Amino acid sequence: MRKRASVSGFTLSLGAPVMASLSEEVLLVVKRVRQRKQDGTLYLMAERIAWGPEGKDRFTVSHLYADIRCQKISPDGKAKIQLQLVLHTGESTTFHFANESTALKDRDATKELLQQLLPKFKKKANKELEEKNRMLQEDPVLFQLYKDLVVSQVISAEEFWANRLSLNSVEHSLSNNNKQDVGISAAFLADIRPQTDGCNGLRYNLTSDIIESIFRTYPTVKQKYAENVPHSMTEKEFWTRFFQSHYFHRDRINTGQQDIFSECAKQDEKGLKSMVTQGVKNPMVDLLSLEDKTLDEGYGTATAPTTSNPSNKSLRENSNSAIIKRFNHHSAMVLAAGLRKTDAPNDQASETSSTDGNSRDSDFFQPPVKKVKLQEAIEYDDLQGDSGRRTIALNLKKSDRYSHGPIPLQSQHYSSSQDIINSISIIQHEMRNYKPRLTQVMSSSAASSAITALSPGGLLMQSGGQQTINQLVPTDVQSELKHLYTAVGELLRHFWSCFPVNTPFLEEKVVKMKSNLERFQLTKLRPFQEKIQRQYLSTNLTGHLEEMLQAAYNKFQAWQTRRMMRKT
Amino acid sequence: MKLNIDGLLVYFPYDYIYPEQYSYMLELKRTLDAKGHGVLEMPSGTGKTISLLSLIVAYQKAYPLEVTKLVYCSRTVPEIEKVVEELRKLMDYYARQTETKNDFLALALSSRKNLCIHPEVSSLRFGKEVDGKCHSLTASYIRAQHHSNPSQPVCQFYEKFDAVGRQVPIPPGIYNLDDLKDFGRRKGWCPYFLARYAILHANIVVYSYHYLLDPKVADLVSKELAKKSVVVFDEAHNIDNVCIDSMSVNITRRTLDRCQTNVETLQNTISRIKETDAAKLREEYRRLVEGLKEANVARETDIYLSNPVLPDEILQEAVPGSIRTAEHFVGFIKRFLEYLKARLRIHHVVQESAPQFLKDIYEKVCIDRKPLRFCAERLRSLLRTLEIADIADFSPITLISHFATLVSTYSKGFTIIIEPFEDKTPTIANPVLHFSCMDPSIAIKPVFGRFQSVIITSGTLSPLDIYPRILDFRPVTMASFTMTLARTCLCPLIVGRGNDQVAMTSKFETREDFAVIRNYGNLLLEMSAIVPDGIVAFFTSYIYMENIVASWYEQGILENIQRNKLIFIETQDAAETSMALEKYQEACENGRGAILLSVARGKVSEGIDFVHHFGRAVIMFGVPYVYTQSRILKARLEYLRDQFQIRENDFLTFDAMRHAAQCVGRAIRGKTDYGLMIFADKRYARADKRGKLPRWIQEHLTDGSLNLTIDETVQLSKHFLRQMAQPFRQEDQLGLSLLTLEQLQSEDMLQKIAQIAQQA
Repeated sequence: MRKRASVSGFTLSLGAPVMASLSEEVLLVVKRVRQRKQDGTLYLMAERIAWGPEGKDRFTVSHLYADIRCQKISPDGKAKIQLQLVLHTGESTTFHFANESTALKDRDATKELLQQLLPKFKKKANKELEEKNRMLQEDPVLFQLYKDLVVSQVISAEEFWANRLSLNSVEHSLSNNNKQDVGISAAFLADIRPQTDGCNGLRYNLTSDIIESIFRTYPTVKQKYAENVPHSMTEKEFWTRFFQSHYFHRDRINTGQQDIFSECAKQDEKGLKSMVTQGVKNPMVDLLSLEDKTLDEGYGTATAPTTSNPSNKSLRENSNSAIIKRFNHHSAMVLAAGLRKTDAPNDQASETSSTDGNSRDSDFFQPPVKKVKLQEAIEYDDLQGDSGRRTIALNLKKSDRYSHGPIPLQSQHYSSSQDIINSISIIQHEMRNYKPRLTQVMSSSAASSAITALSPGGLLMQSGGQQTINQLVPTDVQSELKHLYTAVGELLRHFWSCFPVNTPFLEEKVVKMKSNLERFQLTKLRPFQEKIQRQYLSTNLTGHLEEMLQAAYNKFQAWQTRRMMRKT
Repeated sequence: MKLNIDGLLVYFPYDYIYPEQYSYMLELKRTLDAKGHGVLEMPSGTGKTISLLSLIVAYQKAYPLEVTKLVYCSRTVPEIEKVVEELRKLMDYYARQTETKNDFLALALSSRKNLCIHPEVSSLRFGKEVDGKCHSLTASYIRAQHHSNPSQPVCQFYEKFDAVGRQVPIPPGIYNLDDLKDFGRRKGWCPYFLARYAILHANIVVYSYHYLLDPKVADLVSKELAKKSVVVFDEAHNIDNVCIDSMSVNITRRTLDRCQTNVETLQNTISRIKETDAAKLREEYRRLVEGLKEANVARETDIYLSNPVLPDEILQEAVPGSIRTAEHFVGFIKRFLEYLKARLRIHHVVQESAPQFLKDIYEKVCIDRKPLRFCAERLRSLLRTLEIADIADFSPITLISHFATLVSTYSKGFTIIIEPFEDKTPTIANPVLHFSCMDPSIAIKPVFGRFQSVIITSGTLSPLDIYPRILDFRPVTMASFTMTLARTCLCPLIVGRGNDQVAMTSKFETREDFAVIRNYGNLLLEMSAIVPDGIVAFFTSYIYMENIVASWYEQGILENIQRNKLIFIETQDAAETSMALEKYQEACENGRGAILLSVARGKVSEGIDFVHHFGRAVIMFGVPYVYTQSRILKARLEYLRDQFQIRENDFLTFDAMRHAAQCVGRAIRGKTDYGLMIFADKRYARADKRGKLPRWIQEHLTDGSLNLTIDETVQLSKHFLRQMAQPFRQEDQLGLSLLTLEQLQSEDMLQKIAQIAQQA
C-alpha cells in the first residue's frame, strides 16, 4: 500500500504556517472517503493526514499529526462509519468512510495507523503550541493582534511569539498551576486495611490514588517499583510483596533478608538520620540548644538516661519506639510530599531557609530566621497601637479584572436608614448655622456674564465645541483604530526593544523590524487612512500613529547613519 | 506611655497596657521599696517580662544608688534572648521619649558554646568540648608557653581582649548574644570573656539560672556582683529542682573506671615532671603550705574547675599536710577510689547519711574528713601545676573530688543511696551511688542572703506559699495575678469518663486497663476532628506514652486520627524531637493540622510555646506525678516532711499540678490567643488537685466542667471554638482587659485593678 507520491499544492488551514515539503512518504491511501458530503481520497503521510476531493490534485484538508489532539470513531452499530479528528485548536474534521464493502476495514486500518502515529507526534505536539493556543483564546486583544500581524503576514509567527512567551511565562505559570495538587491523606495506609476474604487470605484494596500516595510519600518504593516491574515481577506480585514485607509492618521486628524493601527501609532510616542531623531552621524549637549550660555528666538527681544499648531493651520497647519513629517519619514524608511541588520561591519560609545556613560554621551571617522568630515571640499585637498591621502582597491572576472591576451598579450603593438619618441631621445642623457671607458675593451682572462666557459658544467655551472622537467616529472605525493602535504598539515594542543594538542578531532584527513597520504602514495604515478619507472624516485620526512611526524611523535613520559612519 | 507607679515614673513602651501589668508593677515596686524578696505569679502571655523590665529600669534610673544592677535569670537560651530583645524595645522607647542617648549597658551572658567566635573552637558541637578546647588555648601556662614558643597555638581573640579589652569599657547599649559576637568580631575580642568581664559594670545582666545557683559556676561568674542588685528568677516554677540538681552527684562503675585511668595519667605526669621540673612541684607545695588562695594567683581562664560547695563553706585555711605533695594526694585519691569501688560491690540497696558515710570511710580506709573537704581544691591546684591541657578528659576524677568535698562539707540535707541495679532490670548489675541533695534551700541560700531583692516569678507558681517554705526564705510580697479577659479565651475542661462511663485516669492500678487506653484514644480522635490546626497532648511519662501509642496503633486509633491530622511524637532523642517539632509547626502553618504527642516534664513541655494555631488544644492525659518509687524521691519527701512539715502527698500533688499547669499553659500565650485545656483524668476534679492549679486557670473551671464524658467535652469544645473563631478586635478589649492611659487613670479602674492581685 505504500507508494511515493509527490504532492503539490494544498490549501492552508487555520492560517498556520505549513512547511511545504516537496515529496512526502505516503503511508496509507484510502479511497472513497467523504468529507463534507464530498467524495475524495484520504492520505496518511509521514507527518500529516490529508484529504483531497475526487478528481482534483489538491488537498482541501490537511492536518499535521502534531496538531491532532485525538481521534474518535463512531460506535460499531452505527450506519455511518466515521472517524473524527479533534485538533488542539478545538476544531474537528469528520471523515465518512463510504466504501460499502470495506468501510469498516478501511476505517480500522486508518485508526490503527493513526493510533501508532499520533503518540509519536504527541510528544512533539509541544506544550508550547497548546500554550499559544490557550493564550490566544483567553486574550481577545492578543488574538486580534495575532490576526493583524501574523495572519496578514506583517511579521512571522516566531517573531510574534518570540518575546511574548517568555514575557508571559511567569504570570502564566501562576495561572496555569492554580490547579492545585491534591495533597496526600495522612491515613492513606489506613485505607488499605486488609479485609479477610473468608478463606484464609487477606484482601488489600489498592486504588491508583493510594498507589500514587505511596509513591509520592515514599520515593524509594517508587524506585523499587520502577526497577522491578514489569521486568522481574508483575505489578500484583510487587504489591503483594510490599504488603508482606516488614517495610510495611515495620513495627514487627523481623529480619527478612531477601525482602526487596529492606533497602527502602535502610534508605528511609538514612533519610531520617540526615533530616535529624540537618537540624532545624527555627532556633526556637531547637531542643538541643535550648539549655544554656547542661549539667555535666554525673551531676543531677534525674536518673541519667540509661546508657544501656538497645540490646538490653526488651523487644517490646524496641518495637514501641520503632512505631514512634515510623509515625514521625511517615508524617514528615507526607508533609514533604505535599509541599514538594508547592514550594513556591516566594513564600517566606523557604526564602529564609535558603539563606539562613543554620549550620553552626556559617553563623557569620546570623540567620534572619532567628531575628524574625525572636521579634515574633516578643510581640504583643494588642498592646501595640494599630501601627503594625502587616499587609499581604496582592497576587493578581487577572489584572484587568482588578483594574476594571465589576461595573458599579448605582442601586447597590446602599446606605442604611441610620446613615440617612444621621446625614440629614448633620445637614440640618449645618444649615442651622449657615450664614451667607454677603460681602464676598459677586454682583449679579458679573455673575451673568460669567455664565454666558461659560455656556456653549461663549467666550470661554469656544474650543470646547469639539466633540470627542467617540461621538464623531462610527464604532467600526473606532474599533479598527484600536486594533491599529495595539498592532502598532506591538510592532514598536519589538522595534524599540532592539535598542541598544549591540549584537549582530539585534542588528538583523532591527532592520527587519523597520521593514515590518514600513510594511504595516503600507498594508494597514494607508488603507485605513484612505477609508477615513472616503468617509469624509475630517479629523486626523491617524496623525499620532504616524508620529509614532516617524519617531521610530528617525531613530532608525540616526542609528543607521551612525553605523555607516563607524564603518567608513 | 508614661505611667505613675506609686510615685515612680515608669516608661512603658506600648500604647496600651493590661490592667494586670499595672498591678504587677505596683506589687514589684513595693517589693523593691522594702528591699525584700517577692513571689509573683502572673499568667504567661500577659507581658510579665516587659512589666518587670520597665519597672526595674525605671527604679534604677530614679534611685541609681539603691539599685545598681538587675540580674535577670531565665531558663533557656531562647528565653534569654527574648528578654534582651524586650529590653531593647524598652530602651529604644526611652531614647525616643527622653531624646537622650541610652547610657545603660545591658548584656546577655551564655556559655562559650553560644558566644565563641574562634573558627575552630566554635565549630565543635557540644558545650563541653568547646569549654575544653577554649581552656587549652587560653590557660595561663599555655599562654606563657606561647611566649617562649610561638608555635604553641593560642586564641588570638582572647589575646586581643586580654591586651586591650579591659581598659576600654564596652560602650553602653543592649547586647544580645549575637550582638556580642558581632562586637567581638569587629574588635577581634573574645565575646565570652568580654561578657564575663562586662557583667561586673553592666546595669542589666541576663543569663541562665546556673550562673547564680550552681556553685561550680556561680563562684566563677557571679562572685563579684554588687550586693545592691535586684535578682529576678523568671519561669521559676522549677527552681527547686535546679538547685537540687546542681548539688547532686551520681557515680557509676564506669565513672570509677574512667577515674582510674585519670589517676594513672596523673601519676605518670607527676613522675615525668619530677624528673624534668621538680621545682614546679616544690613551688606548688610551698604555696599550699602558705595556704594561698587559688583565686589570688589564677587568671580567669585557669579556673576551669571550681569548688562545688557554696562560697561560705569553703575553708579559708591551708590544705592539710597529708595531701600536700602531689604523690600523696594521688595516693589519697586512689584509696578513696578503691573504697568507692568496694562500696559499689553490693547486692542490696544501701541508704545512709553523710556522717554515716564519713564514719564508715574512716573506719575502713582511714580517710579523714578534713582532707576530703579539700579534695576539689587540691585537685584543681594539681591539674594547674601539671599543666594539663585537655581538661575535659578529667571530668570523672573531678566528679569524684567534688563528691568528696560535698560529702564532707554538708552533714545535713543530703543523702547517699547506693543501688546495685535499676528497678526495671533487676538482673543486670549496674550499681550507682547517688549523692543527692534534698534541700533546695542550700543552693539558693547565698542568693537570698547576698542580694537585697530577689523576685521569683512565673506563670505557674501555685500554691504560692510552698515556694518560700521549700526555698526557706521570707518574702515581703506574695501575689497571684489573674488574667483580665474581654472574652474567656481559655477553656479548661476535666474529662473524667469515656462515653461508656468508664472512669478515665492514669492511676497506677488502672493505667494499663484496656478501656482507659481506648477512651483516651477516643478522646484524642474526637478532638482531632473538631479542633483546628494544632493539638498538643501530654502524657505522664515517656514509657506510658510509648505503651499507649503502641496499643492505639494496634487498635487502629492512630490511623483514624491520621485521617484528620498528622501525628508527631516526642522521642527521647532531642535532635529527633526538634525535627518532629519543626515539622509539627510546619503542618500547623500550612493548614493541614497536626498532633504532637509529648511528655510532661519533657523538654517540650518546659521550653516550647505553642502560640495561636500551634496549639488550639492541649490535652493532659493523666496526672503527671513523678515516679514515686524512686528512692531519691522518697528520701526527699521524708526530708521535706521532717524539716519543713510538708506532707508527702501535698508535695507530690503540688509537683504534679505545677507540671500539668505548665503543660496546659503552653497553649495560651496572650489575650488574643485562645485554647482548650483538657485535663483527662477524673482525679483533677478533686479539690486538692484543682486547688493547686494557678488562679487564672482555676477561675475558669466551672462546676459544670468537672466530670465530663467525651461527648460532653466535644460539645463544649465545639461551642468554645466557634465562639473564639469570631473576629476579635482591639476595641473589644479596650477598657476591659486593655487600657489606655486615660482609662488607667480613672478612679474605678484603679479600684478594679486593686482586686487583680491576690495576696497569698
